[in-house]
Parts: sequence; structure tokens; C-alpha cells
Amino acid sequence: MSDKKIKISLLDIFGFIITGAVIFLAIFGEFIVPYDPTMVTNTVSKGPPPFSSWPSLLWDVFVNDLPSPHWFGTDSSGLDVFSRTIAAVRTDLIIAFSANIISASLGVFLGVILGYFRNILTEALLRLFDLLQSFPVFITAMILVALAGRTWVNIILAMSLLYTPIYLRLTRTEVLSLVNRGFIYASRVSGKTEFYIAIRHILPNALGPSLVQFSITIGFAILLTAGLSFVGAGVRPPTPEWGSMIASGAGQLVLGDWWPSVFPGVATSLTVFAFAVCGNFIEKNYDR
Amino acid sequence: MWKFLIKRLLLALFQITFLVIAVFFLIRLLPADPVSRFVGMNASKEAYLQAEMSLGLDRSIGKQFQGFLLGDKNSLGLISGDLGKSWVSGEEVTQEIKKFLPVTLELITLAFIFAAGISIPVGLWGAANPGGIADKGTMVYSLFAGSQPEFSWGILFIFIFFVYFGIAPGPLGRLSPLTEAPIVITGAITIDAILAGRFDILLEALWYLTLPVLTLAFVLSGPIIKMVRENLIQALQADYILYARASGISSMRVARDALRVSISPTITLIGILFGYMIGGAVLIERIFSISGIGQYSINSILAFDYPAIQGVVLTISSITLLIFLIVDILHALVDPRIKL
Amino acid sequence: MRKINTQIYQLLMFLIFSFLSSCSVQQDTNTKDSIIYLTQDVPVGLNNDGPAASIPESQIGIVNLQDALIDYAIDTDNIGEVRSLNFEKFEGRLAKEWFFDKKNLTWTFKLRENVISCAGNELTADDIIYTFARAKSVTGAAPIGWFLSSVASIKGFDNEVLSNPGARKLGDEVKKIDRYTVEIKQSAPNKLFLPALSTFGIRVFDSIEAKKNSSEEDPWSHNYINNISLPGFGPYCLESWSKGNEFIIKANKNYYRGEPRIKRVIFKRIPQSSNRFIIMRMHQADIAYGLTPREFNKLSEFNGIKVVGITGNQNLFLHMNFKTPPFNNLNIRRAVAATIPYKWIIKNGYFNQASIWRSLVPSRYPGAESKFDLKWNGIDKAKEILNSEGYFSPEDLLVYKDSFKLSYVSEKEDILAPIATAIRTEMRKAGFPVELDPIPLTQYGDRQLVKRDLPFAINSEEKPIVVDAGYAVQLFFASADAGGVNNMVNYSNRKVDGLWAKARVSEDEEERFKLITEIYQYLEEDIAWLPIAEYKTRWGAKENINGFVWYPDNGIRFFDLSMDSK
Repeated sequence: MSDKKIKISLLDIFGFIITGAVIFLAIFGEFIVPYDPTMVTNTVSKGPPPFSSWPSLLWDVFVNDLPSPHWFGTDSSGLDVFSRTIAAVRTDLIIAFSANIISASLGVFLGVILGYFRNILTEALLRLFDLLQSFPVFITAMILVALAGRTWVNIILAMSLLYTPIYLRLTRTEVLSLVNRGFIYASRVSGKTEFYIAIRHILPNALGPSLVQFSITIGFAILLTAGLSFVGAGVRPPTPEWGSMIASGAGQLVLGDWWPSVFPGVATSLTVFAFAVCGNFIEKNYDR
Repeated sequence: MWKFLIKRLLLALFQITFLVIAVFFLIRLLPADPVSRFVGMNASKEAYLQAEMSLGLDRSIGKQFQGFLLGDKNSLGLISGDLGKSWVSGEEVTQEIKKFLPVTLELITLAFIFAAGISIPVGLWGAANPGGIADKGTMVYSLFAGSQPEFSWGILFIFIFFVYFGIAPGPLGRLSPLTEAPIVITGAITIDAILAGRFDILLEALWYLTLPVLTLAFVLSGPIIKMVRENLIQALQADYILYARASGISSMRVARDALRVSISPTITLIGILFGYMIGGAVLIERIFSISGIGQYSINSILAFDYPAIQGVVLTISSITLLIFLIVDILHALVDPRIKL
Repeated sequence: MRKINTQIYQLLMFLIFSFLSSCSVQQDTNTKDSIIYLTQDVPVGLNNDGPAASIPESQIGIVNLQDALIDYAIDTDNIGEVRSLNFEKFEGRLAKEWFFDKKNLTWTFKLRENVISCAGNELTADDIIYTFARAKSVTGAAPIGWFLSSVASIKGFDNEVLSNPGARKLGDEVKKIDRYTVEIKQSAPNKLFLPALSTFGIRVFDSIEAKKNSSEEDPWSHNYINNISLPGFGPYCLESWSKGNEFIIKANKNYYRGEPRIKRVIFKRIPQSSNRFIIMRMHQADIAYGLTPREFNKLSEFNGIKVVGITGNQNLFLHMNFKTPPFNNLNIRRAVAATIPYKWIIKNGYFNQASIWRSLVPSRYPGAESKFDLKWNGIDKAKEILNSEGYFSPEDLLVYKDSFKLSYVSEKEDILAPIATAIRTEMRKAGFPVELDPIPLTQYGDRQLVKRDLPFAINSEEKPIVVDAGYAVQLFFASADAGGVNNMVNYSNRKVDGLWAKARVSEDEEERFKLITEIYQYLEEDIAWLPIAEYKTRWGAKENINGFVWYPDNGIRFFDLSMDSK
């Protein structure tokens, strides 16, 4: 281990705060939202109240106990954008994390196996996963999701399939650089089985790049979900999800309604950005 | 070099064979029946059977695969380079791909030229003095640009530059509808315009491509800048550079070597992103009304047009594999440490 | 490397900025008699029997390039912003006049003379023979010509054609009498004969030009017509066609009704409706179709642009499958009906450009009277009905969770998602476990028409192409074994079947009307469909474009339009 000091920049702190907030909202968001994010109201496409009136409105809500205004306005279905933006955190994180956990575990495991045990079979397997990487990501996801049904599970499975090769490649490269290290020889000499060595010694040491990749791919997963929604293959409405909110709100920009897409858009950007910053931080301080 | 090439080509052949099988059967696993669109007005049993037969879907799946590979009454088979006829338009899938693919390639090539043209100098600038304001700004920008949904920026750009300022063309595709397109030779309108000697059309096409290219380049520049910057910083700190410096080799020469070393992972990244974008540009195509391969594939998927989906996935994947190969070769040519 | 990239970068920046300064003068359209028509897609194929024929965007290509034997006259009494047709009155198109011999069930058509096609050929009886022979060959991917002929009871165009290749040759049911006269025989009296002839599915081909582009494997020129051009005698001729992008037609100078006033129409594919909106708004196109109701409303506020509309045959209804419990229970269907937020849908789904549909026939269609009374209304009423059926809490209905997946066509998400969400909200309040399930159009079609297993859906796509309430019965409500064609809710009522069997061959106008009206009374009582709203068919256009006429296929005939000089 290096004795290099961990440097934390302002940007990193910003990233941590956002990430923390996002995780907090994913867990407790449903207790904060003033409206049911899936039930329509009678006010459709109404803009948010001007920011200057927010203090008095906040006073009304918390002190005078009046019903909450639509802080971020309402969308074309009359759904409260604020409640949806908050409620969407959980949806998006579940999709992004599940997809990444599945693909990372699968990818890392296969990466270790394919990197450590090298024979014609593993080589062929590796090439097949390469092939998977050459598949047009978007189109494949679209095929899987649009036709197998627009459910969370299908979206997660499609993404896992597409992201597995990335983790596999990264891990395998790392494994290749590890196999000839002294400590591997040492454990081999001490009579440990090959499989034990692969899991016990290689695996933990080859995790680094995947960890960095994880935080980046989380962001990509959110963006891909958004893109899928845009071509009609995202989660089903009225599930609160940023991508589908941006996608359905995007068309209304030209009518002057900026709020249905801008608020979830900013939320998406911030979140993906924050995860990227965290990834960057890990990368910076990870002992290579 | 040749040995490497042959090995890689053989490998690609193996991969493509597998690809063909995978795509064919994957599509047929989907829980949907493409026959319905032909009986839209008359869903009687007889009409259904008639349509099923005309699509060749009444045969066993093995027979269908044989037909797809070796040819049947509807096509000559993949062996002869025939992907069959689209079930939506009745046109040869190869013809349709030939029409739509160059459009996308043109769009993303321009976007990549533009993105690389911006990112590499910016990345270098950031890396020139690590930790400085320029470096920090570059890094924040690259993290930010890389985490944006491109379609919302596309729509925003249209709104700002076309509707609000009126200085950009509308999302009308690649040319004004009133302009007569040059004779199609390559399918890429800029090249066709040059071949036809019509520089006015070339300018117009570039003009219409400005916003989509800008949008794509903005999103792409994020990861590219990051990659250039980090690799250069790393390269400049590498032992052999320190050694070269210490032994008094001119700083120009040192910088050139460091740049060459750091550029090769960037090439890999651009290659991967390029492969991704052939299918991934679909959102931009949709927003700017550009009929490229992405649009074509989405339409085919939504219409359950099996021959077209097969054709598109096969084509894009093969191109991506080819790009990976080219990237590997370039990699070796640029990076002095690698020998083929 | 760096140097080269910097150069490219500089060059590009230079180019872009020089464009910014030089090209920023916006082009204005509709000079030179050309107009630009913005559409979701340009025609995908031009073959009435081809794979793309059921796509509305393809049909609009067909009806502008080909003409029919006869068509409805334009309604001269009610002139709104869009004129309609007079569904009581037919006019000759390619046929100058026609007679019906009741005893022999034979129609005689006298063709116009000197009608010249785009290719320069004269219309003769051979073209009519070719048209029907082609339809009967059922060689296309979707035999629509055959189907509409069978709807019209043309002799020999029956189901045997599909199963028996020997029955596919045209006999003397369509017969050439002389160069300009043809006879068509029916197998039974049928009021739908003339209405069917006016549809896009039976339009007359220029047989000489069509045969010229045939081949041994493709004797009926399907490839040519799917992909290259459509030989016909219509008001326009194809100038160029780039699928998925652009479709350009130019006036047929020899058109027998006079050369069209709009000389050239450029169909431009703009897939996003918001893009069609802004292009219109910036005056860079002349006509746009298929915006959302709100975009149309907004568009009408801009100078120099108008939005015209008509309540034609587009409507929204709730589809409840009789084969999926609990929808086989009339009381459940009533409880569902009670929850529908009609007012919300009209106001927020259609921005007041629709009205509640209190009928099961599009209000413009002749052939029957239909009044759908809303006897049940409100969440409380719905709960009351549910209680009387033994469902006291939402949990009791959970066994039917899969039946309450409310489907709609995902391509229409812009318009349908808010409506579906509102219905979901209200139904949930009453205790129904509703979830939304948007699916792509093709899949929707498969489940609706072929599998017929779609339990619950909102549908805004059904418009009977033959303008008659009786045809709608045959299409949607007759049982499959009673000649029902697309009975997607699996509705079956022997009384309805019996009445339709009588009405179908009825020769007496008044009796037929009474029989069909009686059918609709049963349909309304049974809530065969739950009608929700009739919405307007609308176009956005520059102010100087006039003469819009609505046709049942909702496709503009550019021949009707004119353009004032500015």
C-alpha cells in the first residue's frame, strides 16, 4: 500500500454531498413528497411558482399548514413534477445499481476465470463476450425491452447483458498483470488449489478498475434508461423515472413548458456527474 | 503484421458466424407475431395463413434458418450477401442499409472529427500544467459533458439556435426540402455533393449538420478530454520520459513521444465510442429528423421486421468488429512500445 | 498529430462561423407553387395489396396518385373550416356514369374517355379488369383489394380465393363490354358496394404501365409498386421518392378534372411532433399533420398560420375483452364506465378539441342511429356496483390483476399517456388494480386482431374505412362465425348476428336503417365498447392555403387545395 495522502478537492466534496443526498432520497424520498407521484391532478401543465414567492409559500406550508403548491409545476398529465423528481431517485438507482451489480459480479467472476485459466475454451468464451461488446448497445437494449415488455426487470437484464463484457475485459486485463506476481507463486508453492488462488488472491486484487468503472457505468445506465424512454422503450408510465420524465417533457419545451423536463434533467445531470466525480476520486486514490 | 492480421480476420469470421446464429434465433424468441401487420384489415384465419405463408413463417425454424443462410424463394441467402426483403416496405434490406448507413456514418464521422479536434487540444492544455485552473476547468467540463443526456441538449439547441435566435437551420434533415439532393453515389450527402461538383450543396449540407454535429460532439468531448488529459499526465510522469528528460533530449522530442504514447488509448476510446455511436446516434437522428441507420433499426424493431432487424444488427456489429481491428492496428502504429 | 487536429479544428470552426453569418437568412417556402407537407413518415409503400398498405401515411400516397371509379360528392351544405363529404351522394370519377340491374345484381360502369395517366396511357376497360384481376390474384402480402371486394359482395371474391389457388383467376364477374364499358356482378345484394369502391383499396391501375414493370416472378408488379412508383390516373404523378425521408409528387397535367392548383407537393418526414410544430411555427413548411392537440392550439396563435379541423371519424374508446374475466360481467363493465373521467379527458387530454362520444358510430357516418347513455357515473357509483357484485375492497379484485393491464399504442404516448394515467388514477380510486401497459403498434395489432387476447385497452385507431354503420357492425361486433372480421373484444350476441344477417342483404334503405339501429341498441346495452371521446382531425397550414376536405381515411387530397398568392 502506498503512503500517499488522500487528497480531497472541493469538487470531490461536492460529489460526495450529491451522492449522499441521492442515496438519502432513494431511501426516504417517499416520506418527503407532497403528492402521490402517479395520481393525476386537475392542474395540467402548470408552471412552478416564481422563486421569489417560495419563502412565503414555504411559510404557508410549514407554519400555516396549507396544502403544498406544485413546487416544480405539473406535467402534461397533471402529475406533480416535484414529487416525481424525488420519487424517481429510487427507480433510477434501483435500475442502475441492479444492472451494475449483476454485470459487475458476473463480469468480474468471468474475468478472473478467463484471465487465470487460459485455454482454448476460455479464449473462445472471451471472444464471444467481445462479440457481445460489438452489438449495438442501444438497438439491442431496444429489442430486448420493447419486445419483451417494458418492465424494470427487462430493462435491468438488458443492461446487465450489455455491461458484463466491460467488467470482464477490465478484470481480465488486471488478472493478466497479476498472475506472474510473486505472491501468486508463493501460494501455489504452498499447495493451494488453483481455484482457491484465483478466488482468494487474484479476485480481491483485480477489483480496482471495476470499482472505478462501477461508478461511471451507474451514470451510463441512467442515461441509457433515459434514452430508451425517448424512443418508447423505457419504464411504463406513470412510474416516476427521470429518463421518461425528460423524454415526455422534451416535446413540451417548444411550447414553452420547460419545467417537466428541466428539473428531472438537472437531477439526472447532477447524479450522473456526482457518480462520475466519485469514480474519479476512487481512480485518483486507488493504489495501482 | 500479416500473421496478426490473418489471425484477427479468422477470429472475426468466427465471431460473425456466431453473431448470425445468435441474432437469428434471438429475434425469434421474442414474444410477438409479425404476421399481424399483414392482416390489418381482415383478421380471418385464411388471411392469416396466407400472410404467414408469404413470409415463409409457416416453415420450421430450422428450415427458416436454412433459407436465411442459403436462400429460399424470397432471397438468395446470406451466403450470397442477400439479407432478404423488408417486411414493411418490400425492399431489399441490403439496399435500405446502403441508403441509411452512410447517413449515420457521415453524421458521426463529422461529430468525431469535431469532438477530437476540440478535445485533444483542450486535454493537452489541461495536462500541460496539472492542478492549474485550466486543468481543473477542463476536468469539470469533461465530467459534466460526459454525463449529459444528448437528446435534451439537442432539443435545447434547436430551441435556442433555431427558434429563439433564428441563426441555425430547422430540424428538417440533411438539406432544405426545396433543394434537390445530388445524385446518390456514396449516400453521404457531403461527399456526393463534392463528387457532383456542387459546393453550394456541400455548404448547405454542412450547415444543416451543424447542430446535430455540435450536440454529439459536446457529449463525446467529455470522455475524450478526460482520456487525453489523464494519459498525458501519466505519460509525462512515466520513467522513460523522466529518463529522456534527464538525458537531455530536446523537450519538443519528449513532448512528441509523450503525446504519441498518450494518444493510443485515446484512439481505442474513440474507436469504441464510434462503434457505439453507429447505433447510439439514433436519438440525435430522431431529434434532427435525419433518416439514418439508427432510425431505420428502431422502426424495424417496432414493426417486427425480422429481415431488417437481422440485417441491421449484423451490419452494425460487423462494422464495430472491423473498427476494433483497425483500432488495434492504429494502436500499434502510434505507440512505439507495441510491435505487431 | 496535434498539428493536424488543430488545423482541422480551425478549418471547421471557420466553416461553421462563415455559415452562421452567410446562411442565417431563413428561406421562405411556398414560392414556385411547391408546398411542403410535414408528416410523421412518408409513404412506406404504394401498393394497396402490399405490406405497408395499412399504414395511413402510405394510403395518402395512394389516394393522390390513383383515382377511384366513383367517390362521394363534397358536401356543399355545411361549409366549415374543413369541408366534409356528402355520404348520401356518389359522383363519377373515372366512371362517367353507372347503372345497377337489380334483377341480375349487375353494375355497369361507363368510363370517361380521354383520361390520360401519368405515363401517357388512356384509361380503358382493360385497366378495370386488370385492377380486379390483380386483387383476386391475392399475390400481395396483404390482400386488401380482395378483402374490400368481398365486403362489397363482388361475385367470386370469397374466402375460397385464399384457400384455393384455383379460384384466384378473374372470371366473368368483371367483364369488358367495350373499350369504355365494364360490368361487375355481385353475389348478393349489398349496400356496401359503392362505398367500398371509393376506398383506397380499390383504385384503378394504369395496366399498360404496370405490366411494363412486371417480371416473371412478379407478374403483378408488386416490387415496382412497393418501391418505385404507382401507375395510375390520379391528379398527381410521382416525381421522386426516398423512403424514410422525402416523397415528392407533381401535378398531372392531363388530369381529367383539370390540372391541380398546387403544382408540386414535397412530403417531408419529421418524426417528432414537436419538430413539426416548430418548423410550421417558423414558417418553413406549409401544412403539418399529426401534432398533439396542445401543439395545434398553440400553433393557431402564430401569425400567418391557421389550424383547421373537423370531427370526422377519429375517436377514443375503452376496449374490454369479453373473454377475459371480469369483463364478461356486465356490472363490472358498468362500474368501469362509471369511473371514466370524461371531462378531464376532453379538457386536459384533448384541450377541448374533442367531445364526449355518446354513440358507437362516428357521428358523421350514415346507416344507423346510436345513442350511448351514460347511466352510471362517479367513483361512488362504481364502488356501489362493485359492492353489489361482492367486491368490497381493492384486494378482492387483485385476482384479476392481469386483466386490468391497460394497454395502448406506445407510438401514441404523447397523447394517450396522460389520458391513460387519468383513467388509471380514477379507476384506482374505485379499487381497480389498474396498471398501464403501452406496447408498440405492431404488437398491439397482433394481440388485438390475431390473438384477440388483449384484455383491456384504450384505442384511438379504429375508423371503419367503408363509411357505413353496418360495415362497422360487420367489422367489429358480429361474431366470428357470423362473418365478423375484426371483433377484437370477442363480443358475441346471437341477436346482433341475426339482425346483421338480415341487414346485410337488405335492399330496402329504411328497413336496413332500422335493423342496424336495433343492433346498436344491443351494443349500447351490453357496452360492447365503452365510447369516450370523438376528437377532431386537424391540420396546421399557412393562412393562404384553402380548400381542405376531410375524407374517411384522413388523408389530404392535394387536388382539393388552393393557394392564394400572397
